[in-house]
Amino acid sequence: MSGIHHFVPVVHRGDAVGRHTLRLRDAARARGFSSSIYVDTMEPDTADETLPVADYVTQAQRGDVLVYQFATASYMAPWLAARPETLVVNYHNITPPSLWAAWDNHVALGQVRAQRELTLLVPRASLALADSVYNQGHLDEAGFVRTDVVPPSAALDPALIGADRDASGRAPLDGARWLSVGRVAPNKAIEDTIAALMVTRAHHDPEATLLVVGKPAAASYDAALHRYVADLGLSDAVTFAGHASDATVAAAYAAADVLVVTSEHEGFCVPVTEAMAIGLPVVAFAQGALPEVLGNAGVMVDSKDPYVLASTVAALLADGPKRERLAQAGRDRLSALGLAQAADRFIELVQTVMVPS
Amino acid sequence: MGVSDDHPSADELSAGQAAAADALADAFDRLAPQGSDPWNFLAAFTHLGNRFGPYQPGGPGSSDLLIPGEATATGGSRLRRIRQRIDGSGSGADETNEFDQAMAHVVEAFRFLSARVRTLEERLARQDAPLHGPAWLIPAQELGDWVSSVAGHVLATTPGGEIWHADCGEGALLGAFEEGGVMARGNEPRGAVALRALEEGRHVVMAEAIEALSARPAASLGGLVLSGVVDRLPLHGLINLLGQARRTLALGAPLVVLATDPDSASHQPSTVARELLQPHSLHEATWEVLLDRAGFVAVAPLLGPHDEHSRFAVVASTPT
Repeated sequence: MSGIHHFVPVVHRGDAVGRHTLRLRDAARARGFSSSIYVDTMEPDTADETLPVADYVTQAQRGDVLVYQFATASYMAPWLAARPETLVVNYHNITPPSLWAAWDNHVALGQVRAQRELTLLVPRASLALADSVYNQGHLDEAGFVRTDVVPPSAALDPALIGADRDASGRAPLDGARWLSVGRVAPNKAIEDTIAALMVTRAHHDPEATLLVVGKPAAASYDAALHRYVADLGLSDAVTFAGHASDATVAAAYAAADVLVVTSEHEGFCVPVTEAMAIGLPVVAFAQGALPEVLGNAGVMVDSKDPYVLASTVAALLADGPKRERLAQAGRDRLSALGLAQAADRFIELVQTVMVPS
Repeated sequence: MGVSDDHPSADELSAGQAAAADALADAFDRLAPQGSDPWNFLAAFTHLGNRFGPYQPGGPGSSDLLIPGEATATGGSRLRRIRQRIDGSGSGADETNEFDQAMAHVVEAFRFLSARVRTLEERLARQDAPLHGPAWLIPAQELGDWVSSVAGHVLATTPGGEIWHADCGEGALLGAFEEGGVMARGNEPRGAVALRALEEGRHVVMAEAIEALSARPAASLGGLVLSGVVDRLPLHGLINLLGQARRTLALGAPLVVLATDPDSASHQPSTVARELLQPHSLHEATWEVLLDRAGFVAVAPLLGPHDEHSRFAVVASTPT
């Protein structure tokens, strides 16, 4: 029986691309398709969910659609380009190499390679699906003929995070708990959040704290953040939780007063949707896909100046009615994004390029 | 989808806040590991490998792959194929040989540099305390009523040019210099302290003194005041610092060392600071010897050490 199979360099269970791929596989199976996940690198915690890419050669069926989960460089790209099956590219964005170069030039070179690999797939892909309209622009620019947008099926289950917060009931004017969620990577620019926290503690809220939840993606960047925190005298105010289980991430959301996103580059930003799901206020730097994803459900700033960020967060936390309005806008925004139907929509689009076996 | 307009804009910030914002960004940018082995040399090897075939840094005999006639794996033959494409022929053996040998030298140079950097980084790792934010263990000391004396000496002896204050705290001395009509800058490694100085309009970088001075051009300072930092560095750090002071000061420029008397009971560092930082407070006589050995002249006491703060000031200058 033909199937919809996913190819991804590696699957991490708590990672957005990993969670997205697992959910798409499950959605395909629920519709009666054969569906497996093939990886370049087997991870111990997902080894029971994945197969080595080389295994596909012996398992290939006529009519298969191969879906490449594209976010970074991999030898899978040229390999897939040479396969005869129908190919769908699911594009999650390539972090600009310039954001990595100062921290890990090897990764930066990998991103340059990824950019080349994306163009390599252009003539082979029957369909290219992007997480966001912002990402779709990249696909169109690269030359893909048929593109569409389906948001990622990667957010934590809101039921796991907990019931809706009382958006206006609590007035965390003192000791506000800032939250940052996502890989600790240079493109996340967590240093800008830290600088803003410092200004906040100097001028608005001496007890404000920041919890950074996410797996370090570059040792040099992670070490620099720790040193920066120490140099600024914030060692008691900033906590790096590192890689965390879904339950721990959920607990962090539940305890936070505001999600602060100062990324230099985001192709979607799943944590923003997780915050919206529970009514957690978001303050985000307007770049990449964030204005599109957040809409009017959070406060966007066009400057990463720490004084601007600090006073923006302080003003939001002091304004209960505004937080309540944003919480409602967040629920509306999630409906508009269609996250709950994303996996089904993805399968429907893939079916349009399936060739009967 | 617009950006919210109910927050202050960057244009509304005061000059001090704008400078503080820049200083915060600079304080992080300096932490990027420019030049470290893992990303620089590995990247160079990767680039060569992508272009000319596989190469494993440190692998036995790997560079032989690039030398014609000695290639035993695909790397060498791939390189030859690339070279032949460049030539547009399969001939020109002498040129190919020269090209391949040059490439082998490049790879070997990277290998040498990589090993050298690794050695130096390991040596530095042994010397540097692996503690982040060590300055916070010894709080910044404001100069109080010594400001006018120190400023008076420096302003009277400077040959001109910017004056630097290392561990400037909230910048009282910088303010005195500026009131005297001289451009003054400083460094303060305790970010929150530096923030206050910056917001007051002082020209301060958030950095350790050795980092800040290392970034200065030679002979670019018309005067230098070292305080605070001289009480919390180990001896090798103090000697490095004096070396940078000598390099950055112009001819005939004054240096002032404001230190704490190590015999003072009232200004002993905390137990934690002593155990983690191993600070090396020195007596006045020892500073005089160190300054003399570092190439300074006119070494003499200026203030103390028997004042109420148990501090003293030693002055010196670079030769004219």
